[in-house]
Amino acid sequence: MIAIGVDGGREHGLADRYPASNCTDGRDRSQLPHPRPACAGNLGTAAARALTVVTWTLILQSIGFGLVTAAIISIGAMGFTLQFGVTNILNISYGNILTVGAFAALIAQRDHLGLVLTVVAAPLAGALVTFLLARIVFGLFARRHASSFDLIMVTLASSLIIQYSIDAAAQGQEFAFTFPAGRTLHVGPFIFTTLSLALMGTAVVLLALLMSMLHYTRMGKALRALSTDPQLARACGVPMRRILNLTWMVTGALAGLAGLVYVTNNLTVSASGGLDFLVLVVAAALLGGAGSPMGAMIASLVVGISTEVVAAIGGSYYSQAAGLGILAIVLIARPSSRTWGGAQRDEVTV
Amino acid sequence: MSYYLSTIVVFFGVDLLAAWGLNIQFGWAGVPNFAFIIFQAIGAYSAAVVTLGPDSGANSFQRYILGAQLPFPLPLLVAAGAGGLLALIVGVIATLRLRRDYQAAVFLLVALIASQVVSGDVGLFNGSNGLAAVPQPLAGPLSSLSLGDYQWAYAGFVVVVCVATFGLIRRLGKSGWQRGLRATRDDEAAAGALGLNVAAMRLQVFVLGGAIAGLSGGLLVGFITAWSPGSWGYAETFAILTGIILGGAGNIWGVVLGTFLVQIVFVEVPSFLPEFGYPGLIDKLEWIVIGFMWLAVLVLRPGGIVSERRYRAGATPVRR
Repeated sequence: MIAIGVDGGREHGLADRYPASNCTDGRDRSQLPHPRPACAGNLGTAAARALTVVTWTLILQSIGFGLVTAAIISIGAMGFTLQFGVTNILNISYGNILTVGAFAALIAQRDHLGLVLTVVAAPLAGALVTFLLARIVFGLFARRHASSFDLIMVTLASSLIIQYSIDAAAQGQEFAFTFPAGRTLHVGPFIFTTLSLALMGTAVVLLALLMSMLHYTRMGKALRALSTDPQLARACGVPMRRILNLTWMVTGALAGLAGLVYVTNNLTVSASGGLDFLVLVVAAALLGGAGSPMGAMIASLVVGISTEVVAAIGGSYYSQAAGLGILAIVLIARPSSRTWGGAQRDEVTV
Repeated sequence: MSYYLSTIVVFFGVDLLAAWGLNIQFGWAGVPNFAFIIFQAIGAYSAAVVTLGPDSGANSFQRYILGAQLPFPLPLLVAAGAGGLLALIVGVIATLRLRRDYQAAVFLLVALIASQVVSGDVGLFNGSNGLAAVPQPLAGPLSSLSLGDYQWAYAGFVVVVCVATFGLIRRLGKSGWQRGLRATRDDEAAAGALGLNVAAMRLQVFVLGGAIAGLSGGLLVGFITAWSPGSWGYAETFAILTGIILGGAGNIWGVVLGTFLVQIVFVEVPSFLPEFGYPGLIDKLEWIVIGFMWLAVLVLRPGGIVSERRYRAGATPVRR
């Protein structure tokens, strides 16, 4: 079984996979959520050398886990980056759409609708909720010429409403989610399951589909035109309404799917899970550059691998902080993100 | 009833301090600090660990860093200092010329991650169980008082702190510094062209807001004597912010009104309602209603109930 290090290592976290980690202070580790048996500081030099070898193996292994994490992040990040690139709304409630997808899959599974419907339910629910949210709520504010910052406030309010509605319906509980993981395979230093290979395959296929849609279809070209300059695109006769509807549906479906993919690894469905995972998704999407699925994929690799390596070395609860660290460096380094309203495109298209 | 009233006074005072702290960051300077609650949290944690003493002996049931036992007013100063220091570190991001929507996202992520790190890293502040049995700060000198009178004494102290902070913010609100801040908020490029040091001013107001937040956290933990990650979820910032937006961002009296409506009327009234549903349902419904309230204010009255004063160009600001 492969778990990713984004759940704070609660249920089936990293400590099971990384039996010995660095602990330097020699304090009693039994009070920690995951007891770690050996401390490097207490061992002899020969043992410490052996431990170094083990650590390297662990790091190599964590790179393997990072690839899987990257696949999971990239599915969410591709949707986020496309949505943000086209509409210019930095949609915080995207994280809650992940949760919606996860719960849709959970309900489908509870009602024994079969594997196919379980997999289909998540993107469908995500697309539906996103579409309604955009048309009803975001549309209301976009018609009043709200700025992109005003829309952030709106997405935050929507996020609160969705999150606590789900939480109220779920009675504040967390649910176990089971998904067949398949056989365990050893590929070089990496350990994969059939499921994790399938996840990576899905991510690559989705990327190829999105890229070919954006570059080789009329609709995709219109979408790119809209994302570059909405007014010019409108003047050129791009069917705005249809393209935007398509964008909301596709990105919503990707969010729902990302929510499903997240819980197939995390195996716990909770009302706050999606928003927690959003940290890594947003980091990858902004790192890759708004509107670029390919950038999102490459950035997901960076974020996925670095968070897993940090989790292996430091402790699972620091893995997301690593994602944020990368994001901070990117935001400081990339000049395009550095204007305060003003020069950048400030209006939104819904 | 007397217990209840004094508790409400303390909570309202703490909420007011927090709202003023966030208001000078968000209302004056336009910094969308969606991580505001972590500054209150670090104030509460640092005030707690410097009153608890070392984490051994009677306190060996919990683990934390920097255990010390400082006399009464010092923990509050430590709390304000910790809030200000954290704001200085985080503020480096805030003073960058990031797009405001990027900033907002970064702050939100900071809040989410801070909660995860503090819950996960047990050695820091006892993880998700949090700190408990924090000594009450005035219990030593006022040990002769009954519990009810003690609560009123503490409430009185909170009111004094509030009045002092109000005076400070009111004074600052009439300064050229505050006019400069509003200029950087409304048009950064123009403010920079007029010779204002945008980054420095934004960092100053951010640190001041962080220190006020830390102080409010220190006051709160001295009263409720326990503090855990459950007390400072990312959504708490939005409760404070809803009060500010409802009352009127940038207007000190508007903030008082909005905070009273949201934090006291709206949060306390449901506790008088008959219990319905499962335990905890009312809390969740409250958050849903806060979300809708937020949307409603943004649609119906974007400036809030008491809008920010209008200033006319070319004239000296009108004095009340």
